[in-house]
Parts: sequence; C-alpha cells; structure tokens
Amino acid sequence: MLKGTVRITGRTDSQVLESLREKGLNLTLGEARRVCELLERDPTIVELTIFNTMWSEHCSYKSSRKILGEMLPTKAPNVVMGPGEDAGVIRFAETGDGDWHCVVIAHESHNHPSQVLPVEGAATGIGGIVRDVYCMGADVVGVLDPLRFGDPEGDNARQTMAIARGVVDGIAQYGNALGVPNLGGDVVFDRGFDENCLVNVVALGIVKESRLIRSRVPKEAAEKPYKIVLVGKPTDDSGFGGAAFASEDLAGEEETNRGAVQVPDPFLKRVLTVANRKVLDLAAERGIAIGFKDLGAGGISCVTSELADAGGFGVRIDLDMVNVAAGHFPPAVVACSETQERYALAVPGDFVDEVQRIYNVDFDLPHIYHGAGAFVIADVTVEKTYSIVSKGDVVCEAPVNVITTGIAYDRPRKSRRIFFEEPLLQEGRSLHDDSLKVLSSPNIASKNHVFRHYDSEVQGRAVIRPGEADACVIAPLPGRKTGLAVAVGGIPRYGIIDPYQGGALAICEAARNVAAVGAVPSTVTDCLNYGNPEKEEVFWEFYEGVRGIGDACRGIGLLSHEGHPLPIVSGNVSFYNQGESGNAVPPSPIIACVGVVEDYSKCRSLRFKTEGDEVYYIGQPLDELGGGEYYRVIYDTLGANVPEADFVRERNQIRTVIEMHGLGWIKACHDTSQGGLLAAIAEMIIGDGKQDGPGLVLDLDEFLPCGLSAEKVLFSETGGFLVELPPGIEREVLALCARNRVKLYRVGTLSTASKLEVISGGRRLAAWEHRIMREAFMNGCRNIFGVGKGD
Amino acid sequence: MARSFKGKVAIIQFPGVNCEYETADAVRAVGIEADLFRWNEDPVLLEETLAVILPGGFSYQDRIRAGVVAAKDHIMDKLSRIAAQGRPVLGICNGAQVLVESGFIPGIHWESVDLALAPNVMADRDGYYCDWVFLRNEDSRCVWTGAFARKEVVPVPIAHAEGRFVTGDSGILEQMKKNGQIALRYCTDRGGIDGGFPVNPNGSVENIAGVCNPDGNVLAMMPHPERASWLRQVPEDLPGSWGRKRNQASGKFERMEEPGPGRTFFSSLLSIAGHVREKSGGQGKEAGR
Repeated sequence: MLKGTVRITGRTDSQVLESLREKGLNLTLGEARRVCELLERDPTIVELTIFNTMWSEHCSYKSSRKILGEMLPTKAPNVVMGPGEDAGVIRFAETGDGDWHCVVIAHESHNHPSQVLPVEGAATGIGGIVRDVYCMGADVVGVLDPLRFGDPEGDNARQTMAIARGVVDGIAQYGNALGVPNLGGDVVFDRGFDENCLVNVVALGIVKESRLIRSRVPKEAAEKPYKIVLVGKPTDDSGFGGAAFASEDLAGEEETNRGAVQVPDPFLKRVLTVANRKVLDLAAERGIAIGFKDLGAGGISCVTSELADAGGFGVRIDLDMVNVAAGHFPPAVVACSETQERYALAVPGDFVDEVQRIYNVDFDLPHIYHGAGAFVIADVTVEKTYSIVSKGDVVCEAPVNVITTGIAYDRPRKSRRIFFEEPLLQEGRSLHDDSLKVLSSPNIASKNHVFRHYDSEVQGRAVIRPGEADACVIAPLPGRKTGLAVAVGGIPRYGIIDPYQGGALAICEAARNVAAVGAVPSTVTDCLNYGNPEKEEVFWEFYEGVRGIGDACRGIGLLSHEGHPLPIVSGNVSFYNQGESGNAVPPSPIIACVGVVEDYSKCRSLRFKTEGDEVYYIGQPLDELGGGEYYRVIYDTLGANVPEADFVRERNQIRTVIEMHGLGWIKACHDTSQGGLLAAIAEMIIGDGKQDGPGLVLDLDEFLPCGLSAEKVLFSETGGFLVELPPGIEREVLALCARNRVKLYRVGTLSTASKLEVISGGRRLAAWEHRIMREAFMNGCRNIFGVGKGD
Repeated sequence: MARSFKGKVAIIQFPGVNCEYETADAVRAVGIEADLFRWNEDPVLLEETLAVILPGGFSYQDRIRAGVVAAKDHIMDKLSRIAAQGRPVLGICNGAQVLVESGFIPGIHWESVDLALAPNVMADRDGYYCDWVFLRNEDSRCVWTGAFARKEVVPVPIAHAEGRFVTGDSGILEQMKKNGQIALRYCTDRGGIDGGFPVNPNGSVENIAGVCNPDGNVLAMMPHPERASWLRQVPEDLPGSWGRKRNQASGKFERMEEPGPGRTFFSSLLSIAGHVREKSGGQGKEAGR
C-alpha cells in the first residue's frame, strides 16, 4: 500500500498548482500531470519530490539537451567516455602494457549558492566536482576556478568584492584541506555580473582505462545478490531542493535560498578519498565488479535510480537504514536532500563486510565524524522496479526507467537586435598612461593575489603554476615525460556583442592557452552560463553560443588525429543567471581545455628569458577591439568590432606554435587576446613577478602592412602568439610559418635595458621602465582585493 | 603477513593529513624505504622504525587549533619514546604544528608548550599563503639539515595559514639560540635576512622557519621539502642558483628529474641509515595510491 499520496487527477489546475507550491515544489502544472500519466496514478509526496529534482533544469537539461546533442561534437579517437556520466574521459598516455592512462574531467557551475553564501557556495562547488571525478575511480590531480564577478568600481562594488573575497576563501578552504592542487582558472570582472556572479569549477583526474569505474550496477548483479552501500556524512536536510534552487531566478528571499546551499566538509572528504582508494584497490585486486557514484543533486533518490537503471536493474531502498543526523526528517527529505560528502557503491553481498570494515573500522568514520559511516541501504533487484520503504510503508514504487526518464522542451528563440558602435578615437591621448591603465585593469593585471590563496604545490606534480604561463602544466605520471596542460577561456564582453563569437572565441582562447605551453589541445569541457531560457532572446543567446562552440571544435579540430573534431567530453548548463532587476548575465560560455604535452621539460614560462633573443608575433592584428579591455578602460564602451573567429587561422597558428615547441625553439610564449599586443609584451617582461625579463624596443613600422593606427595595432584583441626564439634561425622560422600559412611579424630583439619602448617612423611614442609596468600589473587586482577594502 | 617498519621511515597518517603520499615518495627517492602508518594502528609496529615523519595537511580538521588534537593522540606517547631514543622525527607544516603543540619542540622543558605557530602576519592579506620562499641553513645541531652546506640557501614552497613562530618568553628564544636549535631561517635568494613580507612570509620571530630540539633529532619546519625534491618542481622564473639550474634544464627531461633543493633534508637521513649512496633520480613506487 502506497503511503502519502497527493491528489492530482480530478482536481482543477489552480488546486493542483496551489498544492504544489504549498509543498515547496517547482514542477509546472503540465509536469505534475505528466507524472500522473507516467505512473498511471496519483504520485506520493516522495515521488513528486523526486520528479521535482530529476526534472529540474539542473538535472534534466530539459531546455538544452536537444540543442547540445545536435551541435556539439563529442566523439573522437581519443575519447573513452563522452558526456553522459559524471565526467568525461580521454586517453592520455600509453602505459606500456596495453593499457592507457586516461584524463578524467568534469566542469560545473555553483553560481547561485556562491551569490547568496560565497564561502560555502564556492567550497561545495569544489566538493561536488571532485566527487564526479573520484567516482570514476580516478585520483584528482587538479581543480581550476573560472570566476566572473561584478564591477569592482561600480554601484554594487561593496557586495561584489565581499562576494569575490568569500568565493576565493571558500575555494581555498576546501581545496587546500582536501589536498588537491589548484591549477588556476581565471577571474573576469564586468558590471553584467553585479547581481549574479559566476563560479565555475573544473576538476581533473588520472586513472588507467582498465580501472575506470562505471556509475552503474554491474551485470554480475544478475547472478548474485548486490547491495547498495551509502558511505559518508550522515544525511540531514542541508541542500534540500538545491537542484531546484539552481534552476530558477535568483530573487530576494535569501534566507530561504540559504537553506538550499549544502554544507561542505573537506576533512571528511579527504578521509573518504583515502578510504575509497583502499576499497577500489581491493575490489580490483580480487576482480570484484562494483558500481560507484557520488551523491549530488537529488541525493539518494537520484544516485540509486541512476545506478540501477544504467545497469538494467531495479532497487529496493529502506530509508530506515540510512544514517541520519540528529533530528527528524520526513522520507522525502531523506530521499532527496543534497547532504554533501556521500557516495554510493553497488557491491556484491559477500563483499559488504569488508567494505564496511575499511570505512567503519580502519578509517573509523563513525568516530572521526559524528554519525558518518558506511551503511547498507538497499538491495539490487532483477525486477526493474524502483521502490522506497520507510517505517514499513512503501513511499515510492515505479518502474525505474520512469524515475530516470527525462523531460524535454523545445524553447522558442528570437534574435536580439542591438546596434553596437565603434568609439571615435581621440587624438593626442597619452599612450604611456593609457597602457598603464589597461595593464592595471583587474581583468588584465596579475591574479597572483588570488592564486596565492590556493595550494598549487600539494601532490608535488606542478611544473608550471597559475600565473607562470597561459596554461598550468603538471607531470602526473612518475618518471614519465608526458605532461598534462590545462587552461580555461571565455570573455563575457565578446558574447554581449555577438553570442556566437562569444562561444567560438572561448574555444579558441582555451585551445590557444594550452598550445602556448606546447600542448596539443585534446579535449574541452563547456559550462554554459546564461539567463532565463524561457525568455526567447536569452535562449537565442544560448543557441548561438552553442553553435559557435560546435563550429570552433570542428574548425580547430584534433591536431593529433587529422580529420576529427576537438571533442567535448563533459559540461554543464547553468540557466537562470539573473538578479532581481531581471537582467541576465552576459552570455558566458566558459571552456576548459586539456592539452597533452609530449615532453613536459619543454614547457616554458611566459617570461622573456635572454638578451639577444628575437621576439616574433605569429598572427595578424585586425581592427578587432570590440568587447576588449582598451575600449572598456579608456572609452567605457563595448565597441562593435568583436574579434571574428577564423578557425583555419587559429588551427594553423596553434599548429605552428606546437611545432616550434617540439623543435625546442621556444624560450617563452604567450597568446595575445584580452588587452592585445602591448599588454602581452608587458606581461612577458614581468612574468609572475618573481624576476623581470629583458627589455624590448617594439618598432611599429614592422606592422605597417596591417594598415592600422598605433592604438589599434597595440590593443587589437585578434588572437595570436608572441614567441621568444633564439637568434640565427630566422630562415627556418620563416619557412615553418610559410608552410603553415601563418603571418609572422618581427617584434624586436631582447635587450639589457630595463624598459619597453614603442617606436614608429624612428620616433619614440612611449617608454616604460620595468618597475612602472610591474607596479601596474602586480597591483591592479591586488588593490581591489586588498585587506580591509569595502568590508 | 605482519607489517614492519624496521629500517623504514614511518609517515604518520592522521585523519585529514594530505601530503603523506608525496612525502613517502620523496623519502624513497633517496633510497630509503617509507611506508604510511595509519593513526589507529598498533604503535608496536613502530618499534624498529628508522625515523618518523609527520606530514602536512589538516589533521583532525585543525579543530580547536592546528595540530592540537593530533598532539593529544595516543600515538604521541610512542613518538615521544622514539624521539627520546634519539631517532629522527620530522614535522612538516601541519606536522610541525603537532610537534609544537605536543611540546616536542622546542623541548627545552619536558613536553612543555613553550612555542606557538600563530596565524600569519602579512603585508596586504590574511590567512592562507602559498608561495616559494628561501631558507638559510643555520648553524644548528639538527640531523635533518646535516647534509646542507653551512649557510646554504634552499628554495622550498610554503603553504599555510598558521606558521608564525612566536614565544611569549624571550628567555626561551635565547635558550633556543644558545642550544643551536634554530635550524632554518627565511632569507632572500642571496641568503640575506630581511624581516619584511614576502621574504619572511608569515611574520615569524627572527625569520624562524624551522626549530629542532636540543638534541637535534627532532625538527619542526613549516616549508614543504617534499615539494622541492625534484628539479622539475622548481619554478623556472625563481631567482637564484636553483632557478638558473632549473632554467638551464628546460628541454632536458633527465636533468629535470634530478634532485631538487629539498631532497637534501631526506638524504640527511642516509648517514643514519648507513646507506652509502643516494639512489639516482626517479620517483619511487607510489604508496597505494
């Protein structure tokens, strides 16, 4: 007999709606009626709560799934697992015994929680994403945090900086305690995020292909009894409704919203991580097939139904067996709360005792964390029914595929027509002063102040750290040359002018960043941050962004496998990013790119190294300053001429730089985009602030063929690369560039003078001592974060 | 098969530590065996251990104060006897906090807490700070720094929020100096002592980065030598001779896999272990990762 039925059939629309809202459910009327159709009866309150989560935008991708499926390339020869499970997997390096070392990657957003509770929100962001990678059987070797905050000097500056500091603190508190190195990410400020920050998080792991663990009950469960073991923190009501919270507009009721933010605990996670490893190793050693999945959105109901359905089984859960925190929680809360730091394992009945011994005795979970432990909560059944029992009553019973079946919408879209205009450039401005303003803009300036909060050294694998080059590099395989490079991309102001270019350029930038250290871009993840998809113009922005991403992935391609696209193996869609004013955030697709480096010892920092070396620019500056920093800082405008992604040019440039690295020519390399050529050169002189590089005279006459004014050459955001090469190889360099059909400009020779000069027609336009540039660059971001400001 | 730590370095795995694996790897790289000892295992296992290392992390969640709970753990009785026998004990970062909270360091008065590792004091920020710093090997009785040259400058990363050595009793500081207990000081890349941030990254009294006990066999240090045990771990743009060495190794994989500046802390054990030569390069087998 089903307990707790909610009457829907036979009631009027307004009665049903009232009943849904009174129960705190976000299901639409149509969705509630659809639940009745699927079940062929009225649902119980537990069932309604489960559908409320499973059909949230966050879990179901109901608005986006169709478009993602149509537009994004997810298959390539290096892909082991594309989107679908908790994380994507690509092959990385052969083990030498027929197996592969794989990279596991996942990418998510934690935007709304971070806006209302910055420290906890950002911390749980890390906590959630690392679980997605751990549960594939991988060891997590790095996390990255792409962050978008409001205008630090705007109307909402106080709140913006309080949120920014809280987010950085939360990331540090969680990641540092967990013992996972932070591999950077980026930080962008724009007034479009005044009411809704974006806190994305990427996690990377390493696992052998033969040791990948799937998020499903293994097929062996047909032959012998399998149990579901729940391990970790005792279940409470924290994060109840979290997925639904992420799937609606962020409105004023912060107290209510705060209850939907989960409570993170990196200490317990660390102990669980060590204990999980023991369990996984033991299972592998004995050849025992297991399933493993983390608990995230939807809690127990989501994890058990997906484990069972993916394996083709059913499951019978006894909620009374769940370890709960002190207090009384109704069955719907126990089944659906998003309490952090929990995993579920599907293991054979005769392995349960050993699994419990590792967690509960060896690692003593019940004593080191009150109420924590490993408990058997369910039986796997051959019959494909999903049932939940509480105090002897059946509170949920349905075919398992009914629970996991999604819901999809075809959202209408309408293009947005706004007229963008280029600014009229003023005569007689000081290039010296304007350049320093750009260099000290928080979007360009060193993020050192932020990165030093994070432990980037733990695990001892760091080769290139945040701020030292365009990508971070680690050497994850002991004694092996193969390196792993990772970087992110996504400039929100491009997407405001043209959401298609916003998506395409995010891919280009991320790929360029890993190529700058000599890595072959091998896979990307996308986190798509937009406003309310029910608004036609917002949905159009989303559609255009995805179209740009898909085109860029196919256009740049997979350099290691000609004819294949750069595959997208994981991602996330975050809608409803808007504040009380109703204004959506700038269209913000954020991309993470993983690159494979053949020999990590060839990866160089971006700082100029040696006097007498030659500096070249690979690329072609165009009149593309729209959405850029020069226009923002000097003219307070977007402009119109957003860079236009040229995939053939990007691919050829990336290939050229990787080949130069392979030949051992490159002493330093940096991509030019945000801030343009001049900012990039200044950055190469200052490096990450540890010691200055040599000086340079930049002769603009070399760039006369571009046909652009000095400002436009110096601040154009067309993508390209600056490289430092040893003298005496000019002929080979020219030949390589001609073969790859890329444009090459000679920028100058590195000198012993501690200054950067720009000359044109033999006349000096401006000069900056290293010290002046260093102060602007190193302090620009630090000043807005500084202790005591705005608190 | 009974586990044994005979001739091995025991890395103590309190719940919440997070540097145990790479610390074990750094020990193995000098040719000495290392193994993890879980906090609740039988202390008898440690009877014949060669040395003990308390690795970095957040033991017991840094509840109350960093290192306090672990300092009260029953295993500390065993470590106290091991230390009293003159066997080497090293506390790195959180391990140093445990050694200070348990009174092993400075160890002038038997297990009396005479020092503290207080919250960092920094020029323009609060809390956690992770960066590379330079250490100067001071004249001391410490066995863990025995293989360094006199006044050698050693770049090593730090990563902590509470690493400022302080004492309320200036007499203790004087006695520590007299006993030769100041093993390491923060310095510039050329070995100069400058009290300002970031040379002194946390505001430690007299730039102290590491303190040993009067006998010299127990060392508490805040920096992480296991993160500087291979040349590849040294940042390319670091000033000083190690930075230059790293820079010149670019493109040469074999040289990048050579020892880094922090390796010497672990190879100092060799004279005790009776090992004759350092195992060349390469990272040891990972401890059950």
